[in-house]
Amino acid sequence: MPDAGGDRGNTLGLLQGTLDVLILQTLTLGPMHGYGVSRWIRQRTNAVLLVEDAALYQALHRLERRGFVDAEWGLSENNRRAKYYTLTATGRRQLRAESDSWRAYAAAVFRVLDPA
Amino acid sequence: MPFGRSFRRLVTPPSRSDREIARDVAEEVAFHLEMRTSELRRLGHPPAEAAARARAEFGDETRARRALAAEDLAAEREHRRGRWWEDLRLDVRFAARQLRRAPAFAVVAVLTLALGIGATTAIMSAVRGILLQPLPLRDPDALVRLYSSSPRTSRTALSVADFTDYARETRSFAGLASFYQTTTNLSGQGDPERLQLARVDANWFDLLGVPPLHGRTFRPGEDAEGAPGVAVLAEGFWHRRFGAEPGIVGRRIILDGEAVEVIGVVSDANAFPAGRDLWTTTRYTAGERTDAQRGARWIQAVARLRPEVSLPRANAELAAVARRLEERDPRHNTGFGTRAVPLQESIVGEFERPLLVLLGAVVLVALIACANVAGLLLARTAARETEVAVRVALGAGRGRIVRQLMTESLLLSLAGAVGAFVLALIGTRLLVHFAPAQIPRLDGVRLDGAMFAFTLLLATVTGLAFGLMPALQTASRELQPRLRDGARGAAGHLRGVRLRRLLVVSELALSIMLLAGAGLLLRSFAALRAVDPGFRPEGLSAFTVVIPETKYATLESQRRFTRDALDRLRAIPGVDAAGASFGLPLTGTRFSLTFTIDRREAASAADEPTGQVRVASTDYFRTMGIPVIRGRVFTAEDTYEAPPRVVVSEALVRRYFPNEDPVGKYIETGWGREGRRLGGTIVGIVGDVKQLGLAADAPPAFYAAADQWPTDEITFIVRAATPHEGLVPAFRELVRELDADVPIFDVRTGAQLVAGILAPPRFYLLLLGGFAAVALALGAVGIYGIIAYTVRQRTREIGVRMALGASSGRIVRMVVGEGLLMAAMGIAIGLLGAFALSGALRDLLFNVGARDGATFAAVSLLLALVAIAACAVPARMAARVSPQRALRGD
Repeated sequence: MPDAGGDRGNTLGLLQGTLDVLILQTLTLGPMHGYGVSRWIRQRTNAVLLVEDAALYQALHRLERRGFVDAEWGLSENNRRAKYYTLTATGRRQLRAESDSWRAYAAAVFRVLDPA
Repeated sequence: MPFGRSFRRLVTPPSRSDREIARDVAEEVAFHLEMRTSELRRLGHPPAEAAARARAEFGDETRARRALAAEDLAAEREHRRGRWWEDLRLDVRFAARQLRRAPAFAVVAVLTLALGIGATTAIMSAVRGILLQPLPLRDPDALVRLYSSSPRTSRTALSVADFTDYARETRSFAGLASFYQTTTNLSGQGDPERLQLARVDANWFDLLGVPPLHGRTFRPGEDAEGAPGVAVLAEGFWHRRFGAEPGIVGRRIILDGEAVEVIGVVSDANAFPAGRDLWTTTRYTAGERTDAQRGARWIQAVARLRPEVSLPRANAELAAVARRLEERDPRHNTGFGTRAVPLQESIVGEFERPLLVLLGAVVLVALIACANVAGLLLARTAARETEVAVRVALGAGRGRIVRQLMTESLLLSLAGAVGAFVLALIGTRLLVHFAPAQIPRLDGVRLDGAMFAFTLLLATVTGLAFGLMPALQTASRELQPRLRDGARGAAGHLRGVRLRRLLVVSELALSIMLLAGAGLLLRSFAALRAVDPGFRPEGLSAFTVVIPETKYATLESQRRFTRDALDRLRAIPGVDAAGASFGLPLTGTRFSLTFTIDRREAASAADEPTGQVRVASTDYFRTMGIPVIRGRVFTAEDTYEAPPRVVVSEALVRRYFPNEDPVGKYIETGWGREGRRLGGTIVGIVGDVKQLGLAADAPPAFYAAADQWPTDEITFIVRAATPHEGLVPAFRELVRELDADVPIFDVRTGAQLVAGILAPPRFYLLLLGGFAAVALALGAVGIYGIIAYTVRQRTREIGVRMALGASSGRIVRMVVGEGLLMAAMGIAIGLLGAFALSGALRDLLFNVGARDGATFAAVSLLLALVAIAACAVPARMAARVSPQRALRGD
C-alpha cells in the first residue's frame, strides 16, 4: 500500500456532494469511526483527493442528521471510546441513487474526453 | 422479547443536552487526532511533527468543533420534535394494543367512565339550559318581575290601580308592563279550540325586546278600553293552526266570540310568557281601573331597570311608593308592598335547588366512576410490573414510563368521552321527555358544541386525574426485586393495595352520601303520597269548558248550560255521579276573596278574613268524595231565588271560627254580579281539600252554590266505573250538542291530577335514586375487585392457615371481615359527609328531617349487606383453597 501519509502536493479539490458518496460507500464495509473513514478514503484514493478531516466530520454529522447513517458510541480497537457510524437502510438507498448519477455523469464526461 | 421493535422505542434514553453534545464532539475530534498522530509516528514522523501534521490535515479545529456541535444540536432538536410525535404514535398504538389485549378491563373502564361523565354532561346540559342560559330577551338581566306581597302572602298579583300608581310614581324603571295569562276560545274555521292567551300592555314586546317575525307587534293605545281587538300569534301556533300561512297578518280570527285582527307573529324562541298560543292587549275597563278595585289583585307585571339603577335601589323606591299607597288607601293597601325579582329567577328560581342538588349528586357519581377506574388501573399496573421493570432496566426514563401509562389512561378516557357523549345525548332526550311539565325552559336543554367541549374537558381531566396516580406509583417503585425473583408480595404491592383500598373506601363513602340523599327523598315521597288530598281521585274524570260571555251574558244562561250538561253527563252509561265546579283541587289558587262575618267590617285589609272561592253543584261533594263534616251541602232547593247559602271548609272554620259553631253565620265578599254580593249563610262544613299541592296546608275555602253563582268557566267532574278513555268522546259529543263553538279542555282523571302534582318530586327521586343505585353498584364492584385480588395474593397464607387447622368458616369470616371493615370505614366517612351536605335537600323534603337517623341507618345497613354480598364470591374462593396445592408452590 502506498504511503498514506504522503506529501499533499498533487491533490484535487472535491466536487460538491462527492464527499457524501465516498463516505456512504466506505461505510458499506461495516460500522466505522470517523478516523477509520478518513484513513480508508486516503488509502483508496492514494491521497489524490484532498479531504480535509474537518469537512469529513461535518459531512458525517450531516449524514447522521439526515438519517443516512446512525451513530453510536463504542470501543475502538485500542480500547478507546469512539463514535461509530453505521450505514442505515435509507443511507444505502441514497448511496445507490448518488453513485448511479455519478456514473452517468462520469460516463458522459468520458465520452467527451475519449471520443473513440 | 415479546414487545419487538416498538418496545425498544418505548425505552429510548432521554436526549442529549448542549453540554453533552459539545463534550461528545470534542471527544470525537480528540480521538481522531490522537489516532492520526500515532499512525504518522508509526510511519516514522517525529512526535512533534506528527501531531502538527495531524492537526494540519484536520483543518480549523475550533471552527469544525463549533460546526459539528451546531449540526448535532439542530439534529437533536429535529429529532426531539419528531420523536415526540413518533413516541406519541407509538404510545397510542402500544396502549391500544394493551387495551385490546385486556378487553374486559377496557370495556368496564370505558363504560364506567362513559356512565359517570355522560350522566354529568346530561345534568349539566339541563342546568345550563334551564338555570344558566340568559333569557332570549334584550338585555335580560335588567328585566324584573313585580310581585305584591302582604304579611300573609308573597309573590302574588297586583291590582290594576296599584300597577298604574307604581308605573307613574317610580323612576327606577325604563318601562313597566302589566299582563295576565288566561285562555280563550278560538272558533270560526275548523274545530273550536281552547288557546293559551296572554293579555299584555301595548308596550309589552318593545319592553322585552321581542321583534316581530312577521307583521308588527302592538302600538301605543291598542291596550286602551274600547280599542279594536288585535292579536300577535306565536310561531308554533301559527304553524299548527294556520299552516304557517304568510297571509295570516291582517286576517280576523274569532276569540271568545269577538273578531280580532292578527297583526303579527313572534318567534317561539323568545316568546314570553312561554307556552302561549297568542297575545292580545289588556284593554282594562274603567271599572277595573277604579280605586274601589284596588283590593282585586289579579294582574302580573314586568319592568326594565334603568341602566344605572340597581335592584335594591329599585326595591327601596317601590317600598316608598307602597307606603304612600298605604296612606292613601289604608282599607285596601295596609300591609301590602311590591317587590321586584329578577325575571329569570322568577321563572326558574324554584327549580334551582333541585337541579343543583342533582348536579352535585351526579358529580359524586362521576367521582365514584373515576375512583373505580383508578382502582382498575392500579390493579392492572400491578399486574404489569414485570413489563415496566424490563423497560426501566432497558433505560426508559421515569418520565417516559409515566407518559406511556398516561397515554393509556387518556386513551381510555377519550373512548369514555365518546361513550359519554352518546349517553349524554340519550340522557338529555330522556330527561326532557320525562321531566315534569312544571319545569320551565326545557326546550333550551340540548347538547351542542359547548357541551361536547365540556365532555371532552371532563374526560381529559378525569383521565389525567385517575391515570396519574397509578402511573406515578408504578414509575417510582423500586422495581429491581421484581425483576430478580418475580416474586409476589413486594413492598410496592402492599402500597398499591393500600391505595386501592383507599379508593374503594372513598367510593363507598360517596355512595353512602348518595344513598342517604335518595333515601331521604324516598321517605319524603312516600310521606307525600300518603297525604290525603281531601277527595278520592280514583275513578274521577274531569274536563273544563268556558262559555263565552258574549253569548252567555246572563247568569240564567250560564246556569242553564251547566244544568243541561250535568243532566247529559248523568245519562252517560257507567257514570255514578256528576258535579260541576269552578277549578279543580291541586291546581293552585284560582280565586281568593276577602269576606266579612255577619257584616262586621275588619279594621284593615290585613285583618280581613280571606278564603278561596269555589263553586259547587249539588252533587259535587258526593262526586269528588269530599266528606261532609257537619250540616248539609247544596240541594236542589238552593236556587237563584232562594236565600244564598255557602258551605265552608274545616280550615276556614279553624281559622275564623275557632271557638264557635259557624253554621248559621253569614259571610259575604265585596265581589258580586247582577246586584248581589257573593256570600251567604253557612249551612255546612266539608273536609279540607289540598289546593296548592300535597305538602302545603289546605287553605281556608268556601263554596257557593252553582245555581246561585254560575260561572263562565265550568269544570265538570264525573265518578264512573267506565274507564276515562271511554268517556272522553261522550264528553266532547255532549258539549258539541250544547254549543258547537265551545271546546272542552283540561281533560284528565283524578289520578292524573295527583300524578301531576307528584311529578317533580318523583322525577328528582328517580334521578337521585338512579345515581345512588349506580354508585352502589360501582362500590360493590370496587369492593369485590379488591377482595378478590387480595384473596389471590394470599392464597399461600390461607393455605398455611388451613393446614394449621383454620376452618373454612373462619377463612370466610376473615375475608368478609376485610370487606366489612372497608364498608364500615366508608359508612363512617360517608355519614359524616351526609350530615354535612344533606341540609341542601331540606327544601325538597316533606315530613322528614334532612338528618333523619332512620334513613341514615337504613342506607348504612343496605351498604353493609351489599358489601357482604360482594365479598361472598371471593370468600367462597378462599374457603376452597387446597392447603396442599397452596403450600406446594405457586
